[in-house]
Amino acid sequence: MMAGQGFDNLYNMSGGIKAWNSNTALGPEDLGLELFAGTESVEDVLVVAYSLEDGLRDFYLSMMDKTGNTKVKDLFQKLSKIEIKHKERVFAEYLKVTGKTESVEQFETNSVAAAVEGGLTTEEYLHLFQPDFDSEIDIISLAMSIEAQALDLYQRAADNAGDQKSKAILLQIAKEETAHLSQLGKLMEEVVH
Amino acid sequence: MRWKQFFTPVTSIDTTQARSMVDEKPGQEMTILDVRQPNEYEAGHLPGAKLIPLPDLGDRLAEIDQHKPTLIY
Repeated sequence: MMAGQGFDNLYNMSGGIKAWNSNTALGPEDLGLELFAGTESVEDVLVVAYSLEDGLRDFYLSMMDKTGNTKVKDLFQKLSKIEIKHKERVFAEYLKVTGKTESVEQFETNSVAAAVEGGLTTEEYLHLFQPDFDSEIDIISLAMSIEAQALDLYQRAADNAGDQKSKAILLQIAKEETAHLSQLGKLMEEVVH
Repeated sequence: MRWKQFFTPVTSIDTTQARSMVDEKPGQEMTILDVRQPNEYEAGHLPGAKLIPLPDLGDRLAEIDQHKPTLIY
């Protein structure tokens, strides 16, 4: 979110406060993953955005089964439903930008699958962050980090969008992701005492 | 469903490197940014860390010096 805004001297501390407190140095997290450089076309960004929304939904649904906290479960259910709407809007925008007439199934098979080929499964992805699934704080933190990535992606896509209508749609989705982040933040405040 | 890492490239450092960085650049020479929620911050944070919860970050970027190294957690 910051790297695209002129901050070029950023260091992310692997493992966060947990690693700092336990004094455990985690190994490098570079697993040969491809990075999104920020120079991709709007079309590329929309494909990745679609896969991210799909991933978020998958994440919320699988986390709902892992948490016993009703508040967390309820919010995750609500957010998982919203991600379906986001997927639909991203797909509609993709059709508009590309001028293609393919079905959502064709889009998923031809474009989305190719874009995430070689990527991580949800399980492998979650393993990167090593959350404690019994800890609501860990689960909500992870949800927030993924929502923040989505927000960053939409803001960058909006910056690169050619026409004003596309820009407005992308900014609207970005705004909704910000609202998700706030909801998760509030939930975190209720959970942490 | 598969995932790809698509953060804008940001350098990741481990806690040992982070500790050296904090030791070498004390006080005003760097920013330590805590993007967690206020209650988490109150429960414990890195010395001198500035709190800007993730949901607020987009609106509060102006509070951070772009030219200083920023350690985020």
